[in-house]
Amino acid sequence: MRQRILVATVLLVFAMLVVIWQVNRQPRAVVITPTLTGEEEYCLSCHADLPEISASHPIESFGCVLCHGGERLALEADLAHATMRGGRNPSDLAVADVSCGGSECHTGSAELQRDHVSRVQTSLQATYAGAIASIRYTYGVQANLTAQKAISAVQALHPPEGASDSRPQALDAFNPSKETHPFVQAFGENCLTCHLQAEPLPGPAFNRLTGCAACHTPSTGRDPEQPLHQLTTVIPYTQCNACHNRGNYDLRQMDFVPRSDTPSDRMNDYYQPIAQFTRCEFELDCVDCHTRQEAMGNGYLYNNQAEQQYVQCKTCHGTLDAAPLTRTIQDETDIALRLAYLNPAIPLQVGDTIVVTEQDEPLWNLRQLPDGKFEMITKVTQVRYPVPLVMGSGCTQNPEQQESSTCHACHDVQR
Amino acid sequence: MRPSFFHHLHPPTIPARQSRFRYTLGAGGYSVFLSLVLVISGALLMFYYIPTPEQAGPSIQMITFLVPFGGLIRNLHYWAAQLLVVVAGIHLLRVIFTGAYTAPRRFNYLLGLILFVLSVFLDFTGYVLRWDEGVRWALVAGTNLVQSIPRIGPGLYRLVMGGTQPSPATLTRFYAWHIFGLVLIMLIVGAWHIFRVRRDGGIAVPPPDQRTAPERISRFELVRREGLATLIGITILLLAAAFIPAPLAPPMSDVTAQTADASAPWFFLWVQQLLKVGDAFWMGVFVPLAVILILGGLPYFLPAVPSTELGRWFPPGGRLAQIIVAALVIAILGLTLLAVLPTGA
Amino acid sequence: MPATTSNAKTNAIPRRDFLTLAWKSLLAVSGALSFAGLLRFFSHEPYPAPVTKFDLGPAGQFSPGTHAVIAEARSVIVYGSQGLMAYSLICPHLGCTVESAEEGFECPCHGSRFDAEGNLVQGPASQGLKPLNLEVNEAGNLILDTAA
Repeated sequence: MRQRILVATVLLVFAMLVVIWQVNRQPRAVVITPTLTGEEEYCLSCHADLPEISASHPIESFGCVLCHGGERLALEADLAHATMRGGRNPSDLAVADVSCGGSECHTGSAELQRDHVSRVQTSLQATYAGAIASIRYTYGVQANLTAQKAISAVQALHPPEGASDSRPQALDAFNPSKETHPFVQAFGENCLTCHLQAEPLPGPAFNRLTGCAACHTPSTGRDPEQPLHQLTTVIPYTQCNACHNRGNYDLRQMDFVPRSDTPSDRMNDYYQPIAQFTRCEFELDCVDCHTRQEAMGNGYLYNNQAEQQYVQCKTCHGTLDAAPLTRTIQDETDIALRLAYLNPAIPLQVGDTIVVTEQDEPLWNLRQLPDGKFEMITKVTQVRYPVPLVMGSGCTQNPEQQESSTCHACHDVQR
Repeated sequence: MRPSFFHHLHPPTIPARQSRFRYTLGAGGYSVFLSLVLVISGALLMFYYIPTPEQAGPSIQMITFLVPFGGLIRNLHYWAAQLLVVVAGIHLLRVIFTGAYTAPRRFNYLLGLILFVLSVFLDFTGYVLRWDEGVRWALVAGTNLVQSIPRIGPGLYRLVMGGTQPSPATLTRFYAWHIFGLVLIMLIVGAWHIFRVRRDGGIAVPPPDQRTAPERISRFELVRREGLATLIGITILLLAAAFIPAPLAPPMSDVTAQTADASAPWFFLWVQQLLKVGDAFWMGVFVPLAVILILGGLPYFLPAVPSTELGRWFPPGGRLAQIIVAALVIAILGLTLLAVLPTGA
Repeated sequence: MPATTSNAKTNAIPRRDFLTLAWKSLLAVSGALSFAGLLRFFSHEPYPAPVTKFDLGPAGQFSPGTHAVIAEARSVIVYGSQGLMAYSLICPHLGCTVESAEEGFECPCHGSRFDAEGNLVQGPASQGLKPLNLEVNEAGNLILDTAA
């Protein structure tokens, strides 16, 4: 019996040593207490190798859980990730208002232009209303090109102004299975891969996330299995080209035909071979000219891209009679300064004069120099371009005809 | 050597034949051991667990991941609890199948049955204290069974829940029952049960002139055997706790939200399966109560097992009781299996 | 087997006593390990320690003659004969917060008295108010550290 007790005691001590070994195998707990929540988080115990997502979302202030959700105290992967919002992407539009929202964040006041998440849901890139309306009109399902359906049901943040305003007040959800025309149903099955809620087509060229990250996380060209922990406002044209300039729709097959050229330089990569364009349209990135309201919406619902997009050649270059519209920055709270702060390449200060668009959006990377000339510093490529004005030049511009085809008649680049 | 307190808890000698492990399975003793582990590990958990709806889940996560050896203590508590229900059940079955429920042990048998039911309630209340997504069945279906009892149901429900629906008061009440109310009753009934074991003559044996084996073992040997069993028990529990974690789901955010796949804890799966075929009260309250009443009535309504047949498994005098209990066990196990198998319906 | 007869020369320990010694010492080892584990178990502190650094704003606002009580830090900033100093308002006797009196501070609990620069004047306390660390950061702000 004593022998048995000795053996049992040996086994007990051995078991305790095994337990100690097992306990020491757990990942070392690493804690941060972000200042915006005041609650301890242990995500960095396993994820310390992730880069900081952006200079305006420092981890000491935000932590991880404020945007991603998840169980902040758990050190076991399944439990820690069980309550994360949007899986790997908390900016998916289904959860963006919780993840990115907040009165000081991105669902704040419209006057201070802090309501990005609400506006994005009304923009065409989210509603896809124009493409849907045009297909339904083409096949006789609706009587005109006024948008009726969107990817998800949505209400305009601003009602249309008066009877002559054709902008919709609200859009219903487009449901391909309830459509009666077979081509419209086929459109619903094959052609809805390029809006903000859609998963992209496979392949590095199409690779992007959904929601806010579709534009603000520049992930084209990367393997979709390699997640990118980055948010930026310095969005290169390649990110826009995850959806734009990727190919054409064939209305007879009701299918998408990807472009088949293999460009080797920026000029040929930017647009499809069928397009015509000026030098600034491929040397600059899309974000150098196209504004926040054009891309992210301004709270109105639009019927198609031509209505929502309003920046034209004359916005930067002016007309025969007038220089472009400008504004001088008066105080520190000017939104132009807030935007320039995010891009260190653009040194903007109080007192600088910048160009503004016809809807009073600041083109904060286009300044008027003391000698009266205009200069653009490109946001992505960081090149200084002198901006020639139409006024005083030999241009025969017609201010009423500002489509690409008219300027391209003289200014297009041959390739 | 002079006998210590532990030696004096035992009789000077007991018959050797009936003290063998393959007769008793050590199940009663292991039930005491597991209860002790539960009280100690439970007391340690009380230093960190916070019984409010917002803090219950996070405090358990803190214990599991951040407190040194916290995960070990929690797993010990969980495994000791589940094993207690199993081992107490084995003890109950051993008592039935060896005829040890018969007079003069009938009252002690009832005390043991009460202890078994208490251990199930302790397991259930402890399970609710997790207050995570996994306990929704308990909060919704389990407590609504109480409400289905005719006449007293709604009043009893409000007593149990501390209100008309699950609320912070519910958690406080379940906590009070778990750490004190049920434990106090268990201590009193448990002490009485162990006292009655000695007063009724110890492990059930044939009368002295009928015994075939006269050997006896001393209290010293008995305590040594129990010490050995304790060491083995601790070792097995430690290894189980180190390598098989207790379940943990994200904290419950909205108590009143419904979930489709809510599932009962394993010891109530047979009740959940019954509820799929019938009325809440009859299947969920009446049938389990009937099972307890049948078990409790066996010593009183069935003929006694002659004392000459005691001290061995499956005495012929207790055949009817053995058949009834075997049928109940097969039914409950069968229902549990049905609940666990993936169903197409 | 008795220990007296042939084992006397070799001083051998009887087998059963050795076994008993062996399992008792292993049990003691397991007890010691458990005790150490228990101490570690109790050592966890769930709540973060309170803030000890306070940013008091531009250092220039504290000119000679300043006598400013910082309530949330339980401290006072004094610019007196020793220059810019900070003193803890926690009474060194038994920890009550001392209150301002006509010429310094007085403790409401047991009557200890201190002068305007924290020196002990009278009372059951046996030392003056504890001086605290003050620093000026890069932005020119005065930082009070109650932990140093």
